Amino acid sequence: MSEDGTDSGRRRFLLGSTSVVGVAGVVGAAVPFVGSWSPSAKARAAGAAVRVDISSIEPGSILGPIPAWRGRPIFVVRRTEEALAALASQDPRLQDPESTQPEQPEYATNEYRSRRPEILVLVGLCPHLFCSPTPHIELRAESWDEQWKGGFFCPCHGSRFDLAGRVYQGSPASRNMQVPPYYYESDSVLVIGEDGVNA
Amino acid sequence: MSTENKSGWIVTALAGLRDWTNDRLPIVAAWERHMSKYYAPKNFNFWYFFGVLSLVVLVMQLLTGIWLTMNYTDSAEAAFASVEYIMRDVEWGWLLRYMHSTGASAFFIVVYLHMFRGLMYGSYKKPRELVWVFGMAIYLVLVMEGFMGYVLPWGQMSYWGANVIVSLVGAIPVIGEDLLVWVRGDYLISGATLNRFFALHVVALPIVLLALVVLHLLALHEVGSNNPDGIEIKKNKGPDGIPLDGVPFHPYYTVHDLVGITVFLFVFCFVVFFMPEMGGYFLEHANFQEADALKTPEHVPPVWYYTPFYSMLRAVTVPLFGIDAKFWGLIVMFGAIAILFVVPWLDRSPVKSIRYKGWYSRIALLAFTVAFIILGVLGTQSVSPGRTLLAQAMTVVYFAFFFLMPWYTAKEQTFPEPARVTGRWITWKQIIITLGLLAALVILPLKAVGAESNVELDHVEVNIEDQASLQSGFKYYMNYCVACHSLGYARYERTANDLGIPTDLVTENLIFGDHQIGDLMDNSMSTDNAKNWFGASPPDLTLIGRVRSPEWLYTYLRSFYADESRPYGVNNKVFPNVGMPNVMHELQGDVVCAGGEHCELEHVSGTGSMTPEEFDKTVADVVNFLYYVAEPIRATREYIGFFVLGFLAILFVFTTLLNREYWKGIH
Repeated sequence: MSEDGTDSGRRRFLLGSTSVVGVAGVVGAAVPFVGSWSPSAKARAAGAAVRVDISSIEPGSILGPIPAWRGRPIFVVRRTEEALAALASQDPRLQDPESTQPEQPEYATNEYRSRRPEILVLVGLCPHLFCSPTPHIELRAESWDEQWKGGFFCPCHGSRFDLAGRVYQGSPASRNMQVPPYYYESDSVLVIGEDGVNA
Repeated sequence: MSTENKSGWIVTALAGLRDWTNDRLPIVAAWERHMSKYYAPKNFNFWYFFGVLSLVVLVMQLLTGIWLTMNYTDSAEAAFASVEYIMRDVEWGWLLRYMHSTGASAFFIVVYLHMFRGLMYGSYKKPRELVWVFGMAIYLVLVMEGFMGYVLPWGQMSYWGANVIVSLVGAIPVIGEDLLVWVRGDYLISGATLNRFFALHVVALPIVLLALVVLHLLALHEVGSNNPDGIEIKKNKGPDGIPLDGVPFHPYYTVHDLVGITVFLFVFCFVVFFMPEMGGYFLEHANFQEADALKTPEHVPPVWYYTPFYSMLRAVTVPLFGIDAKFWGLIVMFGAIAILFVVPWLDRSPVKSIRYKGWYSRIALLAFTVAFIILGVLGTQSVSPGRTLLAQAMTVVYFAFFFLMPWYTAKEQTFPEPARVTGRWITWKQIIITLGLLAALVILPLKAVGAESNVELDHVEVNIEDQASLQSGFKYYMNYCVACHSLGYARYERTANDLGIPTDLVTENLIFGDHQIGDLMDNSMSTDNAKNWFGASPPDLTLIGRVRSPEWLYTYLRSFYADESRPYGVNNKVFPNVGMPNVMHELQGDVVCAGGEHCELEHVSGTGSMTPEEFDKTVADVVNFLYYVAEPIRATREYIGFFVLGFLAILFVFTTLLNREYWKGIH
């Protein structure tokens, strides 16, 4: 190869440097192709925060019709004093009673998993395989649990969650139900999808 | 030492993988046959870039095309809006779309130059007849591909262009009418036609195109490349069996082509980032209006790359043998492409290249080129008797080039071919004389048949950097225009952000009904109401800044005058008998038309809440806003363009140095 000086350092340098610049160009050219897969302005507008009026929810009931945020069902439950008091009693039976896993914003990392104790806001999907659990809000014996203190039961694979969306032991799901970002715009208007200014 | 051992290990592993694969698939033999031991003549010049450039454009079109289908909707109801969705809402969608639309024109530019190279240097002659025939088949498929692709945005030009071209099928005697209905799948160009064109454009024709490209290259590599001297390098081989005038394609022409590709990309990106409409030639202005089966645009020129053939179609105005002129126009148009297929058998010259052909051939090629360009220019213009006559003459010249070829190539005195390829390059003197002659021959006949006259428009400065003007324009638009004219492809939030208006201010003052800040500004009156009130629904104006020039909009909005014969008591000088009332009358005041037949507009002093100067400024702001909202990405596009061109300039330095390094020992 080197009989006419073709294997010179100059040639290797030029090959290397042109390759580096060329690869940079290819990476740059890939930007629009990769970037175009991000959500479009239309998807972002459709996935914007939603406002719901919670003034009409009676204690011990769930907001219906169930609102959607980014196409996911949102459970908004007004818990009774009795239900709130019963939450702590379930701790020994739960997988993550302290909400140590990051399934909720910081302001919901507390014993009630909510900003206001009585109002529970959850993404209505089971963290197992993303079926939507059925709300069973009443504190009464159910077929799957004699001591049921209200919560959510997933019809797909039988995962059970208490009235703070915390998963029971012996469920296929291993994480608590997700709490979406939300804040109170006023006493009766809940904004789901944004943390609010004083998050 | 350890690093050498490491890289040695990697090289061994890669070599092992190569050998393992090669035992099962002949990759080494294929690489040698097509790249490292494919000997190409060493005297390729500028003209030999266009083959590889068409390959570059093909890859680019495939990639951007695949990405565009991800967001395009192929239905008559949604196609137009989905293209604007790509242009505005999809991240980087504008760039993918501009690359694809510019790529279409770029494809034809490089392919036309590639074909011209073949004609000039006799690359079609024995033994390369099949290379040429496959190449022509590629061109034919490309014509269909481009035509069907142009229909997909479903604008006015898409629609009426498709209408005109598809209607040609109807010119076929006897079966034409039935065939036409079958091709369209309907009694007019409709969603059914759009759907099948979409399927053909994105699936069927690209497969055919790729297959033909493979055949074109296989046939080429079997017989070897021609060169500017038109002599076979295989006739002079060294003792090792390698042509003395050949160099291995890789690395010599790979590094050489990199330079050409970089220059091409520079020009291409300049168009994409700074003039994607190319003055209405790459993206036609009327195509920014949605297809309307009831209203033909004033002027329906095809895109520039079809105009030579379109001119020939229009030039045939005489019926023959009792069959319509339309049919003969169709025959001439397709004949003009078909005759190119048989060029290898029309040329009887003993030599290949124009360098050694006689003066007859040289003059014939010049006349052919002139005719092709003139026909192309005429095809973009509307017809007049003079122009039709010129088109007819040029059509005759076009066909004479081919029909007389067997005669003039056999009869003329050729020049002696050298035994070996020459390092001869085209001199500046030759370039200047040729281009000068070409320009004179093209421009003079076109001048003789006259230019078009236009309505005089008032000048207006548009400046999308001027946020105060844009904000004012947006405010007046939302107060005076949006009630009738929606901005249905633009969103409040983006407009507010681009114009530097706080979003809550927009939410409070400019959003009507139950709209959210992220929504489209499509909240105008219902179409039914509009029909009742105005007799026609006022058009959406998101894209009016791309359909009409700022000057037209500015002059139009200021040219309403009192006319009692009209339903609203006003008429317009620029757009006579327009159905729109003068909505800004309270600002402008009364304007009357003085001077009878030649109407001079005069403002009645003391009327209107603004002075004429204030009013002009307000209208200029509205026009500026419309110019912005027609293409909100404009500023960003140009900003990115500077970096892209800067990068390509740097890449050019490296590829040029690399090319020189390899070629310093050759010649």
